[in-house]
Amino acid sequence: MKYLKNYIIISVMLLTLSVTGQERVFTALDSVYLTDSKLKEFSTGRNLISISDSLLRNNSALLTNMLNFNTPVYFKENGLGMVSSPSFRGTGASQTAVLWNGININSQFNGQLDFNTVNVGAYSEISVRGGGGSVVYGTGAIGGSVHLNTRLTYEDQQTHNLFLQYGSYNTKDARYHFKLGTDQWSLNLALSRNSSDNDYDYPNDSKNLNGQFENTALNVGLGFKINNKNSIRIFSELFDGERHFSLIRASETATKYQDLNSKNLLEWESRFGEFTSITRLAYLDEYYKYFGNLNYDSFTFGRAQTFIAKYDLSYSVTDDLTLNTVLTNTNTTGEGSSLGENDRNIFAAALLMKHQLGSDFKYELGFRKEATANYESPFLFSVGATKDFSDFFSLNVNASRNFRIPTYNDLYWSSAGNPDLHPEKSLQGQLGAVLNFNSLRLNITGYYNSVRDMIRWLPGSDGVWRPVNEDEVQIYGLESALNWFKNFKYNHQVSLNATYAYTLSENKGTGYQLIYVPFHKATASLNYNYKRLHTNLQFLYVGSVFTRSDNNSRYNLNAYSVGNFSLGYRLGKSEKIELGWRINNFLDTEYQSVENRWMPGRNYTMYLNFKL
Amino acid sequence: MKINKLTLLALLSVFILNSCSDDTDDLIDQVPEGDYTDGFFVLNEGGIGTVTYISDDLSNVEQDIFASANPNAADLGAYTQSIFFDDNNRAYIISNGSNLITVVDRYTFELIDVIDEGLTVPKYGVVYKGKAYVTNNNTFDDYTYDNDNPPASYDDFIAVIDLETLSVESTIETDSYTEQIEEEDGLIYVNGSSFGYGNTINVINPSSNAVVRTISTAFGVNSFDIEDGSIYTLSSNAYEVFNKDNGEQISILEFSDLSGASNLVLEDDKAYFTVNRSVYVMEQNSTTEPEKALLTYSSTSQYGAMYGFAAKDGRIYIADGGDFSSDSFVEIYSTNGSLLKNITVGLGPNGFYFN
Repeated sequence: MKYLKNYIIISVMLLTLSVTGQERVFTALDSVYLTDSKLKEFSTGRNLISISDSLLRNNSALLTNMLNFNTPVYFKENGLGMVSSPSFRGTGASQTAVLWNGININSQFNGQLDFNTVNVGAYSEISVRGGGGSVVYGTGAIGGSVHLNTRLTYEDQQTHNLFLQYGSYNTKDARYHFKLGTDQWSLNLALSRNSSDNDYDYPNDSKNLNGQFENTALNVGLGFKINNKNSIRIFSELFDGERHFSLIRASETATKYQDLNSKNLLEWESRFGEFTSITRLAYLDEYYKYFGNLNYDSFTFGRAQTFIAKYDLSYSVTDDLTLNTVLTNTNTTGEGSSLGENDRNIFAAALLMKHQLGSDFKYELGFRKEATANYESPFLFSVGATKDFSDFFSLNVNASRNFRIPTYNDLYWSSAGNPDLHPEKSLQGQLGAVLNFNSLRLNITGYYNSVRDMIRWLPGSDGVWRPVNEDEVQIYGLESALNWFKNFKYNHQVSLNATYAYTLSENKGTGYQLIYVPFHKATASLNYNYKRLHTNLQFLYVGSVFTRSDNNSRYNLNAYSVGNFSLGYRLGKSEKIELGWRINNFLDTEYQSVENRWMPGRNYTMYLNFKL
Repeated sequence: MKINKLTLLALLSVFILNSCSDDTDDLIDQVPEGDYTDGFFVLNEGGIGTVTYISDDLSNVEQDIFASANPNAADLGAYTQSIFFDDNNRAYIISNGSNLITVVDRYTFELIDVIDEGLTVPKYGVVYKGKAYVTNNNTFDDYTYDNDNPPASYDDFIAVIDLETLSVESTIETDSYTEQIEEEDGLIYVNGSSFGYGNTINVINPSSNAVVRTISTAFGVNSFDIEDGSIYTLSSNAYEVFNKDNGEQISILEFSDLSGASNLVLEDDKAYFTVNRSVYVMEQNSTTEPEKALLTYSSTSQYGAMYGFAAKDGRIYIADGGDFSSDSFVEIYSTNGSLLKNITVGLGPNGFYFN
């Protein structure tokens, strides 16, 4: 917390400096800036689901919960707020890349991001893109990628938004958003805190013990346009969280986990002639402590400090043709209780091209190759195209080769790490159709993905777990998204966002569906607004999953449907205050996404949102 | 099934009397009764642990007998590690993931009680004079993963459990890790090696709960047995014999061709052990390694081959860990190496226990 306080002071100082130092200059740059610009520019042939901060407030602060109810990504969660890992398009927990302002933030230790250690209140926008993305985003972007972004808006503004929520199990969620700027500079500050006793009842008369958590996240984006050719931007995040791990029964050893992470990015964009160059320097600090027995003060830890230098040069050959090279050097120093200290340096070169042919066809190409002493790195590519056949129908196609590198734990874990591991490799293709009728948009994508050399940890007869490049998995499926809105007479507004995913993810050796990958998952979110009234109905369906690799159905987890309902009303003359109420799991469904790990039944939340 | 059971009882009564003679004093008076009298148990560690019952003639297999016998009880807990028995027809099932011991009738598997306090990662147990001695790994902070630099102190302990009250009455520390535990002639013997680290066997006098002797062994003893006044220990590369009473080393056999030996069992003056997917057998006091395997079984398990092993009364029992995410199997062989039967059991089978 002390760290956090200093951090706030520094941010405020930075802010003051930039306010006093400003001079009015002409600007030709866009007024809304997203540093992860590749997400929009190089997603040809992809469907993107983006959720802005105002919609994020319809959801719990836990990223798992938000994505679970709004995207096709499936999650297994060891109870609410506990360890949570995604399966995106039938892949494993470490095969979804998470990007913070375009920087890959999957853990250096296990290659995953625990989606319950991300507080959604810290971002302006969260986007999800299905399918491989290693050419642009590097390791882990096999099933898909999740993008946590801070948006900078260059316009005269000063807005505050304070969102306070209180609910069952003493759950407190506070999110503060501050935006300040002119057409020359922009500040976006988000401070978010979420905590809960999380002691909900189980259907079997016991309750969730040792499940409490709390976290605080501060995210700052600051942009400054020096002149019409140069601009500088700083993004910075601090996350401080503590989470206990819930017990299945009271006699188990109680444990907890603390994270202190910071992410920092400095970038300088310069335009000259037909060239745009962006120089980026990033520093990521990942630090965790694991308390393996709360009766003792002792803990184990891991810390990884990553420096990234990135040079991104794009050249507009013509108005319709863009070439882009990205050179990245990533240097990581990792140490930990069971890891010793290890350095690794990875240099990556990527070449991207985008070409618009006529008004109805565009395509893009991308290549990437990495050089590192730690493992043999495969040559990666991506190719995508979109063809518009009419105003209401277009087809997308995309193919790519992607990878996931072995993590620090995989390579260096004491007495178990396997230095001979290869990266996992994925070759995939997808074909999508987009239909637009008036206010209805339907996207249907079919895909195929073959993943080789999957890394898996297995126990040995000596009791030690070790990683191996073992499985070969082939995945095919269908992903669809429907968006519809309509304004009726007398200010009635209705909108619907729905997704459905069908996933076949088979171990190629055995032909069996992977465990914890449902064949079916569907979500729906229906909004209805009338004058000052706002309601939202969320619905989630997850089909049954296998928990045994031989698909023995005796051990399946049952399918479940969960619904949430919220109702808000804006008060005051200028409607700056919204008071609302939410029922989570209003059907009181008894469900588990992991064996023996119950999720909460019906519970309630009240919220207040102030806009200034 | 009833007829089958009766026939079996008749046929195998001699065998049962023999096999139980260690544990029960007056078998003539109390012929054990219950569905699981005439067979053995396979412990499946889970996930959540289960027990498979297999009749001695290998014809009758029942999965998850604890749930069948106790449909309303909670489960056996996460990662069941081992089972031990007392002189009172009770079986104690240790769950290391839930710090739990479930006490059942060994012949009916009906739940008697649970011990769920005072344990931290319990592993193995043994009974002597109305008390159970259960090893606990406690935290894993005391693993340095380096035999040249052992930890300054150990936090493993042995929980002493009063079998009347089923509560932990005291603890014993051995200045070592604590794993397999045995009782012989009124003394308790504890393996001080764990996961390949450590190099002692500690001897405890149960009347004082004090370590009375520390025997130095090779590093990483993974199994030991006591027979005929000697302690036999097995580590990855060595088979050692020690005098039980003074701790002196009698002999050491350092393997030259074999590596990764584990699962030592002494039976009928022979030493059985495993290397990878093979079972080896040699004379109990042999100082030369066997030239070839008695048998090699086929397993697709990456590291979980020979996850459980036993040799008893003319049979060899092998449990295969499989992929640890689906029900796996056990194989039963005769001591001449011929396969008698392959039987599907539960998740991660790790041991055999005989009624």
